[in-house]
Amino acid sequence: MNSVETQAPGGVIIKTVTGSLTGKLIMLAVFVILAILPFVLPDKFWIRQVNQIMIYALLAMSLDVLLGYTGLLSFMHNAYLGIGAYITGLFLIHVAPESLWLAMAVGAVCTTLIALPVGWVQVRTGGLAFALLTLAFGMMFYTVAWKWYDVTGGDDGLMGLPQPDITLFGLKLASSGDSTAMYMFTLAILVMCFLFTWRVIHSPLGAVLEAIRENEQRAAFVGINVRAYKLIGWMLACGLAGIAGSVYILFRGYTGPGVMGAFEGAGVLMMVLLGGMGTLWGPLIGAAIFIIMKDQLSSFTEDWEIFVGIIVILLVLFLPRGVAGLPDLFRRGKAE
Amino acid sequence: MSQATLLTTKDLSKHFDGVMAVNLVNLEVTDQEVHSIIGPNGAGKTTLINVITGLLAASEGSVTYQGQDITTKPVHERVRLGICRTFQITSIFMGLTVYENVRIAAQSHLGGSLRIMSPRGGLKRVNAKTEQILERVGLTHVAGRQAELLAHGDQRVLEVAISLASEPQVLLLDEPAAGMSPAETDQMSELIAALGTEMAVLLVEHDMEVVMAISQRITVLHQGGVIARGTPEEIASDQQVREAYLGGDDWAVLTA
Repeated sequence: MNSVETQAPGGVIIKTVTGSLTGKLIMLAVFVILAILPFVLPDKFWIRQVNQIMIYALLAMSLDVLLGYTGLLSFMHNAYLGIGAYITGLFLIHVAPESLWLAMAVGAVCTTLIALPVGWVQVRTGGLAFALLTLAFGMMFYTVAWKWYDVTGGDDGLMGLPQPDITLFGLKLASSGDSTAMYMFTLAILVMCFLFTWRVIHSPLGAVLEAIRENEQRAAFVGINVRAYKLIGWMLACGLAGIAGSVYILFRGYTGPGVMGAFEGAGVLMMVLLGGMGTLWGPLIGAAIFIIMKDQLSSFTEDWEIFVGIIVILLVLFLPRGVAGLPDLFRRGKAE
Repeated sequence: MSQATLLTTKDLSKHFDGVMAVNLVNLEVTDQEVHSIIGPNGAGKTTLINVITGLLAASEGSVTYQGQDITTKPVHERVRLGICRTFQITSIFMGLTVYENVRIAAQSHLGGSLRIMSPRGGLKRVNAKTEQILERVGLTHVAGRQAELLAHGDQRVLEVAISLASEPQVLLLDEPAAGMSPAETDQMSELIAALGTEMAVLLVEHDMEVVMAISQRITVLHQGGVIARGTPEEIASDQQVREAYLGGDDWAVLTA
């Protein structure tokens, strides 16, 4: 964890975790490397692989807003990626095949609106009940995607997706069907969402969410409307997941109900835990580790889930704070 | 000097599966006064505070605050109105620094929680309030320390500081000196006495020396009901109180 000491106006030393300069430089370097990658990597397979990682990195980061900052467990956050994907896809197919940005906006806004009543019910419960409700609602959304054949294409999924041009202020940049263009588009969205979420988390609103995570009862007793702020955190997380969904369907040109399944949801949770929750950047790394691990293992064995499970168990036991906790290990080593 | 009654309870009751934890309690909490609630273990003191602050719903009766019925208001709204509390078991934000603990309370009270484009330390009035309170309770020197790493006594003080950041008009303290050393207890009772000149303080405390020294008014609870009320002198000579405490060590202090 990056911590930095700052001097408050009253001469008080405050230790904050807003990220040190080193941390910010590392993030910048990572994003720059990601931007150069498609031009040095000759293999389209790897470009698409990293592209997929970036989409799940965005989803994992959005889950971290709930898990790491608000202290809420969502078992099926991928359901909101799915909802964003289906809505964006349906909009492109049936309404405006050429309007990429509009489809993205519709996807994000509709996902957030669908998340509103769900969240409204969920925040009326706490702890385990909240987590179980996320599972219940997730299962319902999955079933809708799977069974509502006329709209979603059921088992076959949503096919025949148009590939709109990526435009900026009316200027055509490239087709979203081009893998390098799609990669750069995904990176741009990821960076924008990361910076926005970073800003929000390090604002007074983020302090409120952290207070709820730390001690819900005390939060209420300093006058915080806990339910209202949990709902804000929930909708922020679902909106970001919806954006990830929009990028997902543009990237794949297709979505099926499988992406909304409970097994996938557990995968997203693992990404956050592997990377280290409550850091925003940890889950980005967690997504990379999880997807690479899954792909490597599944090329050796069909029972890759067993090995993913074992690795996750080991990491949870020996590195409970995920990759983000690694610097602490070294720091402790130095101190002793 | 006529002081205003800020909070009243009328026939306030709380039942748990037929057990009368709080039974028909009528209470008047007056501004600028330390009002102590005493009674043997299980007398219903904490339950009474829980019902007044909204942590538990009342079974019967009502709570009125400045003429407004607040019996069914949620916790955070009561805090907004000026009713704040501390807990018998320390309830602070353990993972945050001392400064952040007080700041979140000040921020919640003064506003600015939705200014997402501002940094956390960018709310000037909130910072000023935070520093003022830390200075007052004497925690400035540990402002940057994580609350979890504080000594127990300092954690108790921090909880009072958090409550003060909401600028309470009625402050309910549930055994604030629990587990404190004699020196820390002295400091805490000094602080409570001072607060009692600025706001209404409703104090639950087992340390009879503290209660007798700083209270202007005492209400005695026994088996959920009020058995006596009066000034410290009146309570010390009350026959019923003597019986309720019979055999208890507390009584020795009362009569000493």
